Amino acid sequence: MLRKLIAAALLLLAGSASADTMLMTRVMMKAEIAFEYLVTSIEEHGYSVAHVQTCDTGMGDFGYKSDFYRVVFFGKGEEVRSISKTHPEFAAYMPMKIAVVAERGETVMSVVNPLTFNQYYPDDEKMKVQFGRWYNDIQSMFRDVQKAAGDKVAVASLD
Amino acid sequence: MFVRRILIAAGLLALAPLASALPDGRELYVKHCNACHQTEGAGGIGLPLTGTKLHDVSDAYLIDSIRNGRPGRVMPAFQEMSDAQVNAIVRFLRERSGTQSAEFDPAPLDGDAGRGEQLFANNCIACHGEDGTGEGKGTGVTLSRERSFLVMPPAISNPGFQAAASDRQIRQIIRVGREQSGMPAFGKQGLSEQDLNDLVAYVRVLGERAAESRPEPVSDGELSHVYESPYDFETTVNNVKQAIVGANFRNFPDRYLEQGMIDEFSVNKRQVGIRFCNFKELYGMIAIEPRLGVVLPCRVTIMEREDGQVILVTPNLNVVSRWFNNDELVDLWAGMEEIFTEIIEEATL
Repeated sequence: MLRKLIAAALLLLAGSASADTMLMTRVMMKAEIAFEYLVTSIEEHGYSVAHVQTCDTGMGDFGYKSDFYRVVFFGKGEEVRSISKTHPEFAAYMPMKIAVVAERGETVMSVVNPLTFNQYYPDDEKMKVQFGRWYNDIQSMFRDVQKAAGDKVAVASLD
Repeated sequence: MFVRRILIAAGLLALAPLASALPDGRELYVKHCNACHQTEGAGGIGLPLTGTKLHDVSDAYLIDSIRNGRPGRVMPAFQEMSDAQVNAIVRFLRERSGTQSAEFDPAPLDGDAGRGEQLFANNCIACHGEDGTGEGKGTGVTLSRERSFLVMPPAISNPGFQAAASDRQIRQIIRVGREQSGMPAFGKQGLSEQDLNDLVAYVRVLGERAAESRPEPVSDGELSHVYESPYDFETTVNNVKQAIVGANFRNFPDRYLEQGMIDEFSVNKRQVGIRFCNFKELYGMIAIEPRLGVVLPCRVTIMEREDGQVILVTPNLNVVSRWFNNDELVDLWAGMEEIFTEIIEEATL
């Protein structure tokens, strides 16, 4: 019992990242198709896909089985312009990026949770509203892709 | 008889809202666990949660693991969840796998860590590593990458595992092994009960060492670094590119910050991202952290302000790396942060 108590105390000292620094979703759909649905949803939410980075070229040479790894860069031009003016330090994090990765015939999508940035702007209500809007939009995009995959449970869990 | 039936029906009706108010474990699993552990629990970024994995662990272990995660090993701590939600996930895992909680006496075992160290070296080190952090880099079966094991052997020295697993649960797993993952049943390989106890004692020593060696948390770091350049925009851009090549990285094509989001005639061409990478390091990093694409490639953003001052903006990698709960990445990016600083210093000398 004493050992376990010591382990628990060490755990408190160690500290673990909270669960919400990343938003992730798994879609029961091939990555190529999920990727297309994601791009459509991004655009339907009023964002532009600025760029798609293909990271999978040559991954086989490094021992990977995964054959699909893309990063979608997206944003709204007017938001990027406005924020880079008022908060130039935030330019390092724009545009936003969603990584789309194939895993055994399914697809994992990941993005930095925009609400993670709140802690760096404790007194800036405008930025907090912005981060909240991005968070809601990304959740909605993930929901769209899940709907396309016909997964009612996943859709409900994102509500 | 009739009155009794009415009373039972009334009782059921009264309980109905309570039942429907219980959190839906499957829904919570899909929301919080599915992305890493896969829909059927086959694992992926996270370890498998199949019947053979869950058979020899207690519910208390699962609850603690969800609550506290695995510090520094991708699995986050779900401390915001209610007890009812955590219990619902565990209930769902049990139902799906057809297993029940394995109950263990929480009393510690009496083992000799010195003897355990020798046994560990002979029997465990090849998979779990000298320090008990598991084989190789990364975690889970990341990115369906080729591995020498079906799954990565868990980091048994991790503070989260240490706090969640009782001595007797650890002993039981060593005794019966993990068939699906290729871990032998050491109870059938000649290890005595005392040997098993000694091994558990040494696993605890590994836990204490691991907790002491974790990177210091950086909670008050700046989100990014902003530097003023003494040069004009074009010179600064050229200097950064040269410094990047000098640091043995490859420049990617430049992209204006607004490019692709504003029509090409209106794009602000005095805001440009100088992007760079080194493919060998990139794939090495993705092996360690498959979600890393959300912050790659490396970039220095150069912007000319309205007053003509040119500034350079870089992310603070010591802050960003901590968002992934991955200590290997934290170590690696501490080095990258230094390279970024050198590039900026070189470019703005």
